[in-house]
Amino acid sequence: MSALGELRHIRGSTRGSPRKRDNRAALVFLLPWFGGLFFITLGPVVASLVLGFTDYNLIQPPEFNGVDNFTRVLSDERLHQALRVTFTYVVVSVPVQLACALGLAMLLDRGMRGMAFYRSAFYLPSLLGSSVAIAVLWRQIFGADGLVNRLLAVVGIEGRGWISDPGTALSTLIVLNVWTFGAPMIIFLAGLRQIPVMYYEAAATDGASRWTQFWRITLPLLSPIIFFNLVLQIIHAFQSFTQAFVVSGGTGGPSDSTLFYTLYLYQRGFNSFDMGYASALAWLLLMIIAAFTAVNFWAAKYWVFYDD
Amino acid sequence: MTDLKPVRAAAKHLGLMLLAFVMLYPVLWMVVSSLRPNNEIFRRPGLVLSSLHTQNYGQGWDALASPFGHYLLNSAIVVLGCIIGNLVSCSMAAYAFARLDFTGKRVWFAIMLGTIMLPIHVIIVPQYILFSQLDWINTFLPLIAPKLLATDAFFVFLMVQFIRGLPRELDEAARIDGCGHGRIFWQIILPLMKPALATTVIFTFIWTWNDFFSQLIYLTDPDMYTVPVALRSFVDSTVNTSWGAMFAMSVVSLVPVFLAFLLGQRYLVKGIATTGIK
Amino acid sequence: MRRLGAILLATALTAGLAACGGESDAGQELSDKPVTLRFTWWGSDARHQRTQQVIDLFQKEHPNITVKGEFKEWNGYWESLATTVAANDAPDIIQMDELYLASYAERGALLDLGTAAKHLKTADFDANALDTGKVDRKQYALPVGLAAYSIVVNADLLAQYGVPLPDDSAWTWDDLKRIGGEISKASGGKVTGVQSWGFNDAGGLNIWARQAGASLYDEKGNVTIPPAVLANYWTYLADMAKTGVAPPPSVTVERASAGLDQSGTATNASVFGTWWNTQLTSLTAASGKKLQLLKLPGEATAKSPGAYYKPSMFWSISSRSKHPAEAAVFVDFLANNEAAANVLLTDRGVPANNKIRTAITPKLAETDKAAVAYLDTLKVGAAPRVTPNGASNIEAILKRHTEEVLFGRATPEQAAAAFIKELQAEIDGA
Repeated sequence: MSALGELRHIRGSTRGSPRKRDNRAALVFLLPWFGGLFFITLGPVVASLVLGFTDYNLIQPPEFNGVDNFTRVLSDERLHQALRVTFTYVVVSVPVQLACALGLAMLLDRGMRGMAFYRSAFYLPSLLGSSVAIAVLWRQIFGADGLVNRLLAVVGIEGRGWISDPGTALSTLIVLNVWTFGAPMIIFLAGLRQIPVMYYEAAATDGASRWTQFWRITLPLLSPIIFFNLVLQIIHAFQSFTQAFVVSGGTGGPSDSTLFYTLYLYQRGFNSFDMGYASALAWLLLMIIAAFTAVNFWAAKYWVFYDD
Repeated sequence: MTDLKPVRAAAKHLGLMLLAFVMLYPVLWMVVSSLRPNNEIFRRPGLVLSSLHTQNYGQGWDALASPFGHYLLNSAIVVLGCIIGNLVSCSMAAYAFARLDFTGKRVWFAIMLGTIMLPIHVIIVPQYILFSQLDWINTFLPLIAPKLLATDAFFVFLMVQFIRGLPRELDEAARIDGCGHGRIFWQIILPLMKPALATTVIFTFIWTWNDFFSQLIYLTDPDMYTVPVALRSFVDSTVNTSWGAMFAMSVVSLVPVFLAFLLGQRYLVKGIATTGIK
Repeated sequence: MRRLGAILLATALTAGLAACGGESDAGQELSDKPVTLRFTWWGSDARHQRTQQVIDLFQKEHPNITVKGEFKEWNGYWESLATTVAANDAPDIIQMDELYLASYAERGALLDLGTAAKHLKTADFDANALDTGKVDRKQYALPVGLAAYSIVVNADLLAQYGVPLPDDSAWTWDDLKRIGGEISKASGGKVTGVQSWGFNDAGGLNIWARQAGASLYDEKGNVTIPPAVLANYWTYLADMAKTGVAPPPSVTVERASAGLDQSGTATNASVFGTWWNTQLTSLTAASGKKLQLLKLPGEATAKSPGAYYKPSMFWSISSRSKHPAEAAVFVDFLANNEAAANVLLTDRGVPANNKIRTAITPKLAETDKAAVAYLDTLKVGAAPRVTPNGASNIEAILKRHTEEVLFGRATPEQAAAAFIKELQAEIDGA
């Protein structure tokens, strides 16, 4: 059904459609966006691309150095470490976070007593955002004297500084990320709310079990939102910066175990005055993310259902 | 069978309560620490308070160049501007991408998504130069104007997905009744995407309220500082930091976002499910 | 529309490209028209308040000059400074750190204060102190305060475990390890003898190198520390962690990244810790115990004195300031005015200005007096070369390699070779 729907959608625009194109209306609706693109976004974006081919220390004028920045990528061991960290993070944290967010959203969507309370409680940690207090707060949980270790001590296990051990630091950051699943959860909730009740009523009259309802109604109708969360969380995870920055004090430590791509890029650009290389790295990241996103959009044809 | 139901419900609540406690632990710790004297905060683990050190709130409020309320107000202005900007501009762009058929749509859409794939750290320097040419440094314009111009592709994409989830028949019907795109957008699509709009409001609020990097860069004059910039200027890792005061102001600055969230989530619940469209 | 975007881009870029404008003239007469200066610094709320008071004092003396203070926290400070300098929009007066001095000065972002001698007096500073602010023999920065590396000992805990206070005029690194071990044993591991270092600054490494008759950099700014000296340094640190003299690595790393208030010294979890002497007051406030300053071990047997005066920070003026003369007058006020010094006291370190230091000493708290006394009685060698252009990242590099060793991911010898190679590459790349 979904594949068909998508097919219909794609053909609609390529086949000599009887409908007239809405170019004029589109221009009106997109006017602010075009304005933003050309006046605000495009210049700096192109500038960063140009800077990617220069040696630029922020203080003196940039000097073109051809593709030096890009060949340097091949032998940059810390970059390779950053790529390893980032890929691990994306591959593990995105599915886990989305599953948690969807599960809780479903749970909280049922007209349960105290639902508003739980929703707020689960969302509250996400409100902390990147507040400066956050590093201190996480240490209260995962630090050497933190909550986790005190709970472990009860059962007789000796803990460690989870955030500051290179063996566990990245896993801890992944847990922290799951902790703040609030954003996708809210989006799921909003999506669930948009599914017309009549579908469920009709299904219930037909005697469909809850499980069947989930597979036949919820998942297909929620698929655009799941897709949205997936695409954005992947983009977001690739650019993950703040948590690692705050928790490691900007170093990506211990021992580069939380050296996220953007954190490394930031270090090159702002700490080492190496903005040309940082710009090249940024464009490399853009290409990686774009490739992932393109695959995502391609795969979406097979599982995302649009009613248009 | 019937006897088991309350037990199961109780177990479920117990589980959720436990989870809620763990989730909330950092927040609780922050509140407790905001009521402790500075030198006790890191020497005492746990949540038990020996006394109420409420002075932190007064000290924190007056610790910086202006009373903390000044920074709250600045943040509120920025947040309000960003919310209006995102609501108006992103919903318009989203309608075009979701419902209109225009030349190069896929390319434009790809470009839109592409704009959020570049890390801000390499954009910020050229953007700073651009805004300083416009003489916008130390105004809220570098923070608000981009939102008015739909540069937040996250929300455009979010709304596109929501609109595409709405039944096409609704606007087809309106079109047959002779409605133009303006009216379809205004009278049919917008009311139906309230959950998406509420989501946009909530997230714009939270993210703008917490956004540190661009506010730090564009607001160099302390009179213009916003909450996150002000909060960070309490901290210096090489000397004593007024942690108590800093936590106190963190708690204070958490209140508006939390209220916004509570208000916003009421609109989240009012989706199609309750507006009676079946 | 496309073309407009391109034009905007072009202007934006060329504005950036043209960043290196002509040198301003700091020797001119003061203007009597209204002048606004921007002054930026990093620090905590206490510093912001004191600095604002000094600004108010200055504005009273110079009614036509308005000084706008821009306070930031350390990380944000450097992001913001780099961005504003890149956009030709730097503040006039810049609080500068030793790590970044050469990076900004050699690239032409700072004013040669020698050209401002008419308005900015430096007569009350030691030549040695002034030298720390020179790059290529030009005075790009004026040292604000001085500090020296020290061992902070918790005398109360020492008494609690019945360990006598070591004689710091003769003690060695082995003594520190041995005494630390006794404490760890006596406390059953609850309190560790020594708080490991090598994470947040390069002070310990500098001293270690100097005691071995070497130095981290040579005059030209190349890395010259012999790998063996470096390997010994890490062997020592790793030994302490392994034998329980210092906490386990993960605890050490956690405390180090958490800042002063959460350190082992501040939370009474370690008895000996290496700190800058000026941090004694903060540490005492946090720990609530009696803390004392000791000289570093190994000085008596060292090939050359390891100790040196490190400038806590500097005053610099942007080379693109539109009002260099007025900016110089303001820096002069910060550096030489007694009323200003009475407000600032030791907030930015023990004043490097001798006259000011003498003037404020009676007004200091006990711990600050102890810090001044420590500085006065210390036998120091010439200060090491300013951190070379490109090496401003040294602390992060040092931290990472220290972690590699402590967590057993590299031997001290491997780490030494890797550290030297990486640091040199950063310098060469700049």
